[in-house]
Amino acid sequence: MLIAAEPQDPHPATAAADGDGTPGQEARAAARVAEVDRRLGDPTDEAGELSYARLIAADEAGELATAGERALDELGLGADFVPTAEGGRLERLDTLVRVMRQVFRRDVALGLGYGVTSFMAGVNVWTSGDAAQRARLARILTGGGKVSVAYHELAHGNDFVRNEFEARPAPDGGFLLNGAKQVINNADRADAWVLFSRTSPAPGSRSHSVLFVEREGLDPDTWRVLPRYDAVGVRGCHLSGLRFDDTPVPSSALVGASGTGVETALRAFQITRAALPAMAVGTADTALRTVVGFALGRRLYRKSVLDIPHARATLSGAFTDLLTCDSLSLAATRAVHLLPEQTSVLAAATKYLVPKLLTDALHELSIVLGARFYVRDGEHGIFQKHIRDLPVLSLGHAGSAACQATIIPQLSRLARRSWFSDEPAPAALFRPRAGLPDLPFDRLTLASGRDGLSATLVAAVDTPPGATPEEQAVQELARQLVDELRQVQEASRALAPQDRTALAGPAAFALADRYAVLLAAAAAIGVRQQAAQDGGDAFLADPAWLAAALHRLARRLGRRPAALPASVDARVHEEVLRRFHARTSYDLYDTPLTG
Amino acid sequence: MPVPTTGHTTESLTTWLAERIALYLKRQPADIDPDVPLAEYGLDSVAALSLCGDIEDDFDVVMEPTVAWDYPTVHALAGHLLAELAADTAQGGGA
Repeated sequence: MLIAAEPQDPHPATAAADGDGTPGQEARAAARVAEVDRRLGDPTDEAGELSYARLIAADEAGELATAGERALDELGLGADFVPTAEGGRLERLDTLVRVMRQVFRRDVALGLGYGVTSFMAGVNVWTSGDAAQRARLARILTGGGKVSVAYHELAHGNDFVRNEFEARPAPDGGFLLNGAKQVINNADRADAWVLFSRTSPAPGSRSHSVLFVEREGLDPDTWRVLPRYDAVGVRGCHLSGLRFDDTPVPSSALVGASGTGVETALRAFQITRAALPAMAVGTADTALRTVVGFALGRRLYRKSVLDIPHARATLSGAFTDLLTCDSLSLAATRAVHLLPEQTSVLAAATKYLVPKLLTDALHELSIVLGARFYVRDGEHGIFQKHIRDLPVLSLGHAGSAACQATIIPQLSRLARRSWFSDEPAPAALFRPRAGLPDLPFDRLTLASGRDGLSATLVAAVDTPPGATPEEQAVQELARQLVDELRQVQEASRALAPQDRTALAGPAAFALADRYAVLLAAAAAIGVRQQAAQDGGDAFLADPAWLAAALHRLARRLGRRPAALPASVDARVHEEVLRRFHARTSYDLYDTPLTG
Repeated sequence: MPVPTTGHTTESLTTWLAERIALYLKRQPADIDPDVPLAEYGLDSVAALSLCGDIEDDFDVVMEPTVAWDYPTVHALAGHLLAELAADTAQGGGA
């Protein structure tokens, strides 16, 4: 029976868990996550219309799973990208990540191709559009339509200030579009496009504008869709391009003031950079789940693969990294609501580090899977699809280096003004189920020189540790990481001006990398502290996972911390198995899954 | 125009800006025409944000991060900075 098969959420929302914001946020979030999961069905059930086997077959055919698109249409997923103030369902960014994880754990192409593209396009309009534009966009998305985001021109990569696609002001107050945009998701079937366009020939950062252009009403003789690209991963996505030749569009297409395109983009990016990467925690969840299942079933050297120390450590390590990614993502998405002035650096760090950690985790897992990793179908076939699809997250919309370039110019200011002097981030930043105020689109800023998250790391060292070996280990690791922050501070202060530009030397990029790792550590510390204080999730309140997480981050920084007590891996390993058998998610939410 | 009590002048700010921007561009300050847009010298949008941070640090004022986009030459920036410093002083910032 359907009802009997419904997973029970072991973490029911309580009134006490809701802080700011409208009441019942957590209940709505958990219900939506369960609804999406239930409608998409158990992906391991081969008879299901959205089984991994069917999703792999669609990928082989270079198509998006039709049944998947239909299911998401029926779920009205487009409304999840529309703020409640505009009549949609988007209350909280961290909730959107949880909902999308249900799609991403099954199919990255569906997640991107159905929805995230529309979300990426939409935030430009939510951030800078007028009421009429927001209403038009809301109508398209809640009605099941799609919107494309077209920043990209192949010749200029992430250096989009050099973009040439032109929207020339026309005598009637409108614009004439000229030029091409390439590798644009859903360009062929979107109802509207958000086009980053040059509106002045002058060099510099005030010569571009964002245009929200609806397909309907355009002169069909003046524009066309360019041929589709064939990609290594997300093969079902409709990646193509657009070509315009003197296509007239009305003045009402202009989003924000003329010349504010770069600023609009950099503010909108903060929202997408914070939210997008951790949707793929769902993808990595499936990869880990697949390998745990494999390891439990296979016997080598007269032992289960799970009894081989290397395999076992790899599984624990992957789970730990997923928790680290989710902690950083939680802090970044909640910071958009709580600390919008500080989000620019934090979101860039998230977009830089999370895809990297997830990609590394999948590669390590592939070693346990051995030759099975290379097989395209069967029980473990979804693994190779996910490992091919995942890198698109660090390519799409803001490459790793572009994210580092957002961090680099802010390092010296943070070093001078913030680190070791700012107040720690508010507790609400780290509470996965607590309520949040509305998204303050107008308060996002390009740089602030403030950083409460790293202050959480610094403050942790001043708190006397408990007596257990795990707590002692956490304290010692935190001390080393604070030492690392001090080194990053010194090096950042010493950065020469030419190392604070997009053409900075490798040393500046390395500093941005180290800083991102430290922010991840701070986020994990914050999550564990709050869990321990709130008396909520017992596993998150346990110092074991945090010790494991900090240990891996310290090693990533090139440190050689002392070995952890054996109890740490035992606890993490036990949780890996418990969640596998209980069918709950490998993230901060321990969400019941259909399969 | 009142002279700010901090003693900054258009000339002193122009000199400071040209020297600082020269460091970003790896050029000599004398090579930078104060009336030519900085983007034409190759000052990218990231460097422009960095420059804003430098101004804040050295003059103890708060600027919009996009200031070097909106005042795209050395002269324009110097003029804007002078006005900001004067406003700051008038508000008691220089006390």
